[in-house]
Amino acid sequence: MVFIDPDIGSTFSLFEESGFFNWEENLMYKSLIRATTAVSAAALLATSAWASDLVVTYDDLNPAPKKAFETVIEAFKKANPDINVTTNITDREAHKSAIRNALLNDAPDVITWYPGNRMGPFVDAGLFMDISDLWGSDPNLSDKFNAIKATMTRDGKQWGVPYSFYQWGVYYRKDIFDKLSLSEPKTWADMLGACDKMTAAGVTPFTIGTKYLWTAAGVFDYLNLRTNGYEVHNDLTAGKIKYTDPRIRATFAKWGELLERCAPIKNHATMSWQDAIAPFAKGDAAMYVMGNFSVAAYKDAGLKDEQIDFFQFPEITPGLARAEEAPADAFFIPAKAKNVENAKKFMAFIATPKIQGDWNKAIGQLPPNSAAEVNKDDKFIVEGMQTLSTASGLAQFYDRDAPAAMAKAGMEGFQKFMLDPSTLEEVLTNLDKVQAEVY
Amino acid sequence: MTASGQPISQYDTSMPRVVSGAVLLVVALLVMLSIDVSWVAETFGFQKRVDARVPTFFIRMVFLIAVLAGAFISFTSLSYYKRNRVMLAPWLFLSIGLAFFLIYVIIPIFQSISYSFTKWNGLYDVTGTWTGEWVGFYNYRLLLEDPNFYTSLANNLLWLILFMLAIPIGLGIALFLNQTVTGIRIYKSMFFFPFVISQVVVGLIFSWAYNPEFGLLSEIWGWFFCEQKLNIVGNLTTSCSIDPPSILGEAKYATYGIIAAGLWPQIAYCMILYLTGLNNVSPDQVEAGRLDGAKGWKMLRHVILPQLRPATFIAIVVTVIGALRSFDMIATMTQGGPFGSTNVLAYYMFDQAVGEGVGRYGYGSSIATVLFFIMLIYISYFLWRMYQDEKTEH
Repeated sequence: MVFIDPDIGSTFSLFEESGFFNWEENLMYKSLIRATTAVSAAALLATSAWASDLVVTYDDLNPAPKKAFETVIEAFKKANPDINVTTNITDREAHKSAIRNALLNDAPDVITWYPGNRMGPFVDAGLFMDISDLWGSDPNLSDKFNAIKATMTRDGKQWGVPYSFYQWGVYYRKDIFDKLSLSEPKTWADMLGACDKMTAAGVTPFTIGTKYLWTAAGVFDYLNLRTNGYEVHNDLTAGKIKYTDPRIRATFAKWGELLERCAPIKNHATMSWQDAIAPFAKGDAAMYVMGNFSVAAYKDAGLKDEQIDFFQFPEITPGLARAEEAPADAFFIPAKAKNVENAKKFMAFIATPKIQGDWNKAIGQLPPNSAAEVNKDDKFIVEGMQTLSTASGLAQFYDRDAPAAMAKAGMEGFQKFMLDPSTLEEVLTNLDKVQAEVY
Repeated sequence: MTASGQPISQYDTSMPRVVSGAVLLVVALLVMLSIDVSWVAETFGFQKRVDARVPTFFIRMVFLIAVLAGAFISFTSLSYYKRNRVMLAPWLFLSIGLAFFLIYVIIPIFQSISYSFTKWNGLYDVTGTWTGEWVGFYNYRLLLEDPNFYTSLANNLLWLILFMLAIPIGLGIALFLNQTVTGIRIYKSMFFFPFVISQVVVGLIFSWAYNPEFGLLSEIWGWFFCEQKLNIVGNLTTSCSIDPPSILGEAKYATYGIIAAGLWPQIAYCMILYLTGLNNVSPDQVEAGRLDGAKGWKMLRHVILPQLRPATFIAIVVTVIGALRSFDMIATMTQGGPFGSTNVLAYYMFDQAVGEGVGRYGYGSSIATVLFFIMLIYISYFLWRMYQDEKTEH
């Protein structure tokens, strides 16, 4: 079936975007011209292939990411002038529910979503297209994405192309550390010692806002990765290890220590992660376990580059291979995409080092392509690149690695434990119950 | 006169009208079914099929109306209709409303009940096949073991009981405001004001007021227990000998905090109901009561309140409904947290089925079913009471 391009084919434009209000004008004048051109265009239409459309759905309306995305689209258009690109940019939260419908009816050709277990339901329902062939043949994807390939893989196949990721770790107030002559803690004992000093000086060691739960999962993940390592993290989120397992208990024991000696701010249960920046900016709290996207928010809160710094979450079990949290954002091709060839072209395009480098410079994150250039002027990016490129494994995040139903119950349990560590038994047995049922 | 020479009775079927109505019906139905999104996109020159969806919908609607008009013309031309007009006409008018009620209320209820016997993540696969599986009473067995379900149920009960406070408080304010003083209208409208604000806004206002960092409550608390100090980097900070309560952050207070917020507009609502009721209190009876020496509490209990019975009845009904509609308050104030302790059934259902991609549609539906039956008991009792009242009145 041939679709007629609206610019030449429309003979009646009542429902066109601008047509409703000045439809008279459209009808009277334009339709005449259009009708005549339509006839001549019809001849053209019959011969030329009109497959050169590409519809891309992106899910971030924040000014910086939106602009960066639009720049990439412009670059793609320039590189492929024969492809007619249409973009839909939606709100991130709305996208989470809208995607269910979008993948079934009127699927775009390329759509953003999260890798790890979050893509699981869509992959299992056959709604995403298997692009393993692209990963095999494309020079960038086959060679420069080894660190993140596992994340994009399910059932031994690859389903999407990541365009950005970022590191997690501990952000701290360097000026407070200097005042108390503390240095970046490397081990668990260092960390607890530093906390004691801070508490003695009237500084709350950690800030955190657990109202939306996921921040607590960041702390849990790091404690678990440092106590038990990458394999246990994966086995736990894959449902192979119980929450009452002695290894997970060990993680919670460390968390108990952390809550006792490195107490987080009170009232964290009523705060969002942005609210929790206030005590950090004021100097009431000195450390924050967070992702790199938070740096911009610290600066907005009035902190200067030299007042804040970053260190990797300290070692707990000595000699354990260091794994890090590095959530990625990716593009996928819906199984119902109409312009698959163009979609694959787009995927290959966003995997190139140039695009990956420029894009992530613009949004202050890290390019998954190891050959891409990073912003050397940003100390957090430099340190993040160093952290992630030397890591033995990259975890997505508790709520992306675990199925959503498990993640929700798990994070509620973490919050409950943080508010009252004596509920540990109750929390763990309940999580076992949810786990038995979800997987 | 017909061809056979007999006079046309006003109750005879007029065949030409029946046929023309039927033709209109069939043609419009065929057109409606044959129009699809790609056809509209092609005809009107939309670049994307997505853009053609809304126009398609409206074009189909136009033809649907033509179908209904055709059916209407045919049906009203039948002799059967003409003879039973008085009995059939109301149903004809009701039919459209009933059809919508069936499509949007009745059928979904049964669909939802049927989903509650399945395990489903809300997705259809690429061929449009439903991806769930039938699990029988599994979800209900899970519910019985789910501590969150019992928390939600208990909270629902707490809401129902505490929300009833709105009735006596509303009555009290109404009695207080039921006097003729200059500017009483202004006071009345100020008391009524919270009912006009959206629930979401009420929720926001209260969650700010409760906020232990910068809220109104912690500010007042600070006068007694807190002092301003300089912290390590020289910024002013507050330190308290006793920390201000974190109402929404602690499981044992949070639900009460939300109920208090919900009561604020509900009291206003009950107040306005009683104020209108008080307008209708007969002055003769009050006078008579006064002559018999009744005043104060006795007057209220034996003369005023019996006359306010209709207002009380409505106040109870709207308060029960208000308590069951606590969803918006919870969604804005705590999202069911901390750790699920402020969930009610309605919010827990939403959270499990569609919230944050959890996608347990089957489980969510089973919660919805339980909620439905609880409501059904209440509504049946309510309808039965109304029916009894009407019987005794006539």
